[in-house]
Amino acid sequence: MKNQHKIGFILALLSILGSTLMAQTPSDALMMKKKEICIAAMYEHSWFDEYWEGTYLRHNETIATVDRHMVMPMAAIGIVDRLNLIVAAPYVKTASREPNGGKFEGAKGFQDLSLALKGEIFNKEMGKGKLALLGTVSYSTPITNYLSDYRPYSIGFGANELGVRGILQYQLNSGIYIRGALAYLFRGQTKAERDYYYNNGSYYTPWMDVPSAWNYNAVAGIWLFDSSWKIEANYMGLVSTSGDDIRAYNAAQPTNKVDMGVLGVSSQYYFKKLKGLGLLAYYSDTLSGRNVGKSAQYGVGVTYQFKL
Amino acid sequence: MKNIVSKIFAFSLLVISVFLSSCEKDLPTQANYLAYTYSKIDENGGSWTPVLLSSADQIAIPVPEAVGSSAFQEELAFVKSESSSLSGEQLDAVEYWTNNPALRWNEIALELIAKYNLIPGPNADDTYTLPNPANPGEVPYFPFAHPPYAVRALSYLSVAQFDGLISAWHYKYLYNRPSPGLADNSITAAYVENNIPSYPSDGAVIAAVSRDILSVMFPLEKDYLAERAEEHMSSLIWAGANVESDISAGAFIGEEVAKIALARASTDGMSKAQCPKPISDSLQAAAFDRFGWKWENIEIPARPVGLTPLFGQVKLWNVPNVEVVRPPVPPAPGSAEFEESVVALKNYADNMTEEWRAIANYWQDGLGTYTPPGHWNRYAKEYAIKYKLNPLRTVRVFAYLNMAMMDGGISCWDAKYYYHYPRPINLIPGYKTIAGTPNFPSYTSGHSVFSAAGAEVMTYMFPEEGSLFRDYAVEAAISRVYGGIHWIFDAEVGTTQGIEVASYTLDVAKADGAD
Repeated sequence: MKNQHKIGFILALLSILGSTLMAQTPSDALMMKKKEICIAAMYEHSWFDEYWEGTYLRHNETIATVDRHMVMPMAAIGIVDRLNLIVAAPYVKTASREPNGGKFEGAKGFQDLSLALKGEIFNKEMGKGKLALLGTVSYSTPITNYLSDYRPYSIGFGANELGVRGILQYQLNSGIYIRGALAYLFRGQTKAERDYYYNNGSYYTPWMDVPSAWNYNAVAGIWLFDSSWKIEANYMGLVSTSGDDIRAYNAAQPTNKVDMGVLGVSSQYYFKKLKGLGLLAYYSDTLSGRNVGKSAQYGVGVTYQFKL
Repeated sequence: MKNIVSKIFAFSLLVISVFLSSCEKDLPTQANYLAYTYSKIDENGGSWTPVLLSSADQIAIPVPEAVGSSAFQEELAFVKSESSSLSGEQLDAVEYWTNNPALRWNEIALELIAKYNLIPGPNADDTYTLPNPANPGEVPYFPFAHPPYAVRALSYLSVAQFDGLISAWHYKYLYNRPSPGLADNSITAAYVENNIPSYPSDGAVIAAVSRDILSVMFPLEKDYLAERAEEHMSSLIWAGANVESDISAGAFIGEEVAKIALARASTDGMSKAQCPKPISDSLQAAAFDRFGWKWENIEIPARPVGLTPLFGQVKLWNVPNVEVVRPPVPPAPGSAEFEESVVALKNYADNMTEEWRAIANYWQDGLGTYTPPGHWNRYAKEYAIKYKLNPLRTVRVFAYLNMAMMDGGISCWDAKYYYHYPRPINLIPGYKTIAGTPNFPSYTSGHSVFSAAGAEVMTYMFPEEGSLFRDYAVEAAISRVYGGIHWIFDAEVGTTQGIEVASYTLDVAKADGAD
């Protein structure tokens, strides 16, 4: 396994967080070796000026254009050759651009701590390439008392999430690869600061069910220049298995059924002369959705990999 | 190595099952109570003074058949056969409606308020369309159940329930017909026997009156409400609580008292409250001439008319006229007291604590919820259960609570459009809020007036609770300042105003014969 591939952990991590963060990169099929560590810092800017209210695409000057900035420190650690731990804790800041009719304060703070274990189940020669199957189990939990019931400014959904993911990749020796991943994200409940809300009926409790979701990725990419540069196109889908729709011209809430389809491109570059250093960048656009912003986003990151 | 990986995954599955089974809390959708023994039965309830009826016997019902009559025995036989073989659904209905079903109908009203409390959004050409009561099913649906609409709907609902049960109590103790369970000991009633005569059925009064009032307040829900009422009335037979003639007499009282209440509602001025722009503009101009300030809607696109500018002219329940409770002129922008409020608001916004934020959100009761009057009805329900009130005493609490809050709302709206005072976002440059700024002037705070008026009635009805409700009201008032949408004087004067308005309703309550 080539060293520069390890940068792919960042993308794997992004995909684990992806359903929360609307990240756009898919799960990766790459593993780090024992005692190798990759640390990274990512910045992402996402924004929308339209959102789906149920299935209706709404433009709403009360919130106008909503910006979301995220800085995410991450680390991926090779526990053993075929089992890696990935840790991240994003800091998120949201606000409406001026002018807007609502004059709402945005929100900011550290969001959720995410831990993921990724294991390689098999990786073997097959035809003119290699077929790999990997599995990921991830867990995330809020690390600050941020308010999830403050859409569209809330920095997260405020509930625990347990994710189980399978990743299948076929890579040709020429460097071209395709990959698919499917995950189920079990999401728990979040606590609002009111003890009555409407979710197709009355609820007399501050606790809200955050819908669980299926999350899938389809990816095609290629490694170029002796595997120092990777370019890929990816599609990420999220489908909640329950939840209500945002009501007419009303605020969203954590109980909503959030679906989305996001198409993106991403690229990574690994420096041969600066050992261990890498860069990555991505852009993606939300093509379809339900109870979610029609957002576009770009991200940039720097990674540094070393061995203990 | 494969071994380790598979062990990890096995462990993960274990974690998943623990996660799924232990972390999910039960999410209640209604009050959790069962039929209970009333703390007292108020045999003299029929002598209490009704609100709208001239007397408890204004609505006449037939003299019931005697216990020994074949007609009554046939009715008993029917109850016996129905109640002895219930389906699961019927048992659920019996358990749901209980022997204090006014609480359930209040919950239904709150749910409809939350369902319809949606502000119309702008059209593509930046105009706004108002809900049209003549065509309720046209988007935006009628009604927009904002706080004035909500408190009015709740007032008519609970006043009509109260008058209906005073009438029922009158006939119950006039005719003293025993309940099915007491008339025939082979009938096992589902509800605990409270030894209140059965004719007419108080449950049927509540079902009919609630259905009819709410069907007018929420016309698109007419079929749904009819279904609920039908199930409720049937459940009285299934529970062995009433015979059919109890129910038909109760339903008749309910229907008649609803007509009387709805006749008042149709001429109380509410239909004119959402006035056209020229009238709204003239209110704004009058305030500007008088005081030198005016509130403006600064949404994008701006709403041409604020929420119900003439709600202040709607017919009051117990206050002689709106001027007697109008609060004093608020501090002028630029005055020392005003600047103090600006400093406080900036401080809350810049140094927002989790405690302030939680208070602002707890009391927000904004769009899409049951509104502040709904919040106080929810308390009334919870304390009626806690103190095991009988149905008559329960609807008495709701009636005075909602009359006081509606009078409070009318008085508050009078002040809002008489003084037309700007909001913090109008006067503090660059100011941001954590609560949504509503589409009406600032002074005085609706939450403060509703809550103070509600708290006064609740304190009178539940004196054992001490200062609890008044403390709630003060917190509800300041929550709007923490939220960034009200000045401190909006909240403080609003609280005083609510207390004063409620005193008129309490004077009536104290003299109605119940205490």
